[in-house]
Parts: sequence; structure tokens; C-alpha cells
Amino acid sequence: MTEATKPQTVDEALQQFTDMMAADGYVLSWEPSDPQRIVVRIDATEGACADCLVPVNVMEAIMAKALEPTPYALDHVILPAEAAH
Amino acid sequence: MAQLEALLDPTGMEAGAADTTLSPRPVSLKGLTIGLLDNTKPNSTLLLETIAAQLQDQYGAGEARLYTKDYFGTPVKQTLLEEIVRECDVVITAVGDCGSCSAATVADGIMFERAGVPTVSITSDSFLMSGQAMASVQGFPGFDFYAVKHPMASLTAEEVRERAMTAMPEVLRILGVEEGR
Repeated sequence: MTEATKPQTVDEALQQFTDMMAADGYVLSWEPSDPQRIVVRIDATEGACADCLVPVNVMEAIMAKALEPTPYALDHVILPAEAAH
Repeated sequence: MAQLEALLDPTGMEAGAADTTLSPRPVSLKGLTIGLLDNTKPNSTLLLETIAAQLQDQYGAGEARLYTKDYFGTPVKQTLLEEIVRECDVVITAVGDCGSCSAATVADGIMFERAGVPTVSITSDSFLMSGQAMASVQGFPGFDFYAVKHPMASLTAEEVRERAMTAMPEVLRILGVEEGR
């Protein structure tokens, strides 16, 4: 496999979105749910903008797109409890 | 019994919203009414009014009308959208400088385009991905919008004016303007 086609790591693929979430006061983390899929978790810091989270379907669209260069697909996104309903 | 309020769909999606045709571009802004949709985020009004003043001074645009959303995190309400579509020839909407408001700003732009009004949605570059994702969710992945440099909320008036001037070439390009005064 050449360098140009080498799959990105999940951390590399999600870095831009991690930075974007940090601008609103949120922390992004992830863990595998099975060998091909990952779960993305969004947690609020103390100064998080409660009104600034994107809708979950938009969040999942962002995550799914971001993960395309990796060997993984998105399983689902977990939002902070207060934003998940 | 408590009255139930209608829930707003945060994506602005509804049946029949899959059309991706851009509205016709005006080529010239001479005499056209500009709608400015302010999402209430800090510095939005000044950014929009500075851009509008440039369009009037340099491109002969007509009246600029300022409208204000009641909440930045969801798309423009249908009644306000219809009012703006009735009263304006082109629209500029700003500023999407957070996750939800960038997505909503892009959704607003797509709704105006689908209503036949050329529109420039302005987000900040930190939230480009959020805007692009909303465009995809809306069935309009190629929607063309502009991202100013982040941040916006903390800028001085002079810095906001600089952001507006930097935005001008892209505003004109997205509106399809080819003629000056």
C-alpha cells in the first residue's frame, strides 16, 4: 500500500471535528463497538455552550463522512445526557 | 390540560425537500432588495450591514432589510422565510459560528434557494464541517456557502468590518454578480 492510499487513523480522521467541538466546549472521544465500527462520544466541559450542539443526525453525518478514510464505520454517536432528548 | 407546542425539526427537513436546484442568479444587483437574516449571534448584525453597504455602494443594490431569527440553533421559521421571500431579491444570512448555528445557517440558505432566492450563508471556518454536513443532510451536498475566519463573537467593530471586506469577493461569486455600478 502506498503512503497516498494508507488509511488514516481514527484520531487523524476526527482531529478537525475534535477541534470544532472544542470551540463549543465539548470533548470528543471514541471506542470500537466491534472490529469494523466505532462509537463516538461527546462530553460537555464546564463551559460548554448548551445550545451549540448540532442535531444528532447532522452529528452522525459529520462523523460518518470523517471516518471514510479509515478502516472503520460509525456505529453511533452518544451526546451529553442533557442534549440527547 | 397543558397545550402541546409543535416541535421544530432542527434540520429543517420536510417532505419534498430533496430538490437541489440553485435559484437563478441575478448577474447585477442594481436596485435589488437585499434581505439580511441575523441569527442573533454576536457581531452578526454588523457583519451583515457592512456587506450590504458595500453591495449598495459598489454594486448599486437597493434597500437592505434586516430580519432577526428568534433562535440561532434552528432553521428560520416558515412565516419569516415567506416574508423575506416576498420582500427580498437576494438574501445573506449570518453568522454560523457554533455547531448548531452553522448547521442552521446553511439550512436557512438552502431553504431560501429552494424558494427561488439567491442566498449567501456565512459560517465561520471552525464550523465548516458542520455546515457541510447539514447541506448533505438537506440533500444539497454541493451547497456553496462562505466561511469567515473564526472567531466572530469576540471581534471589535473594526475587525468585523475587515471580515466583511474579506468576504466580499465570495459573496459576489456565490450571488453570481458580474456587474458593478
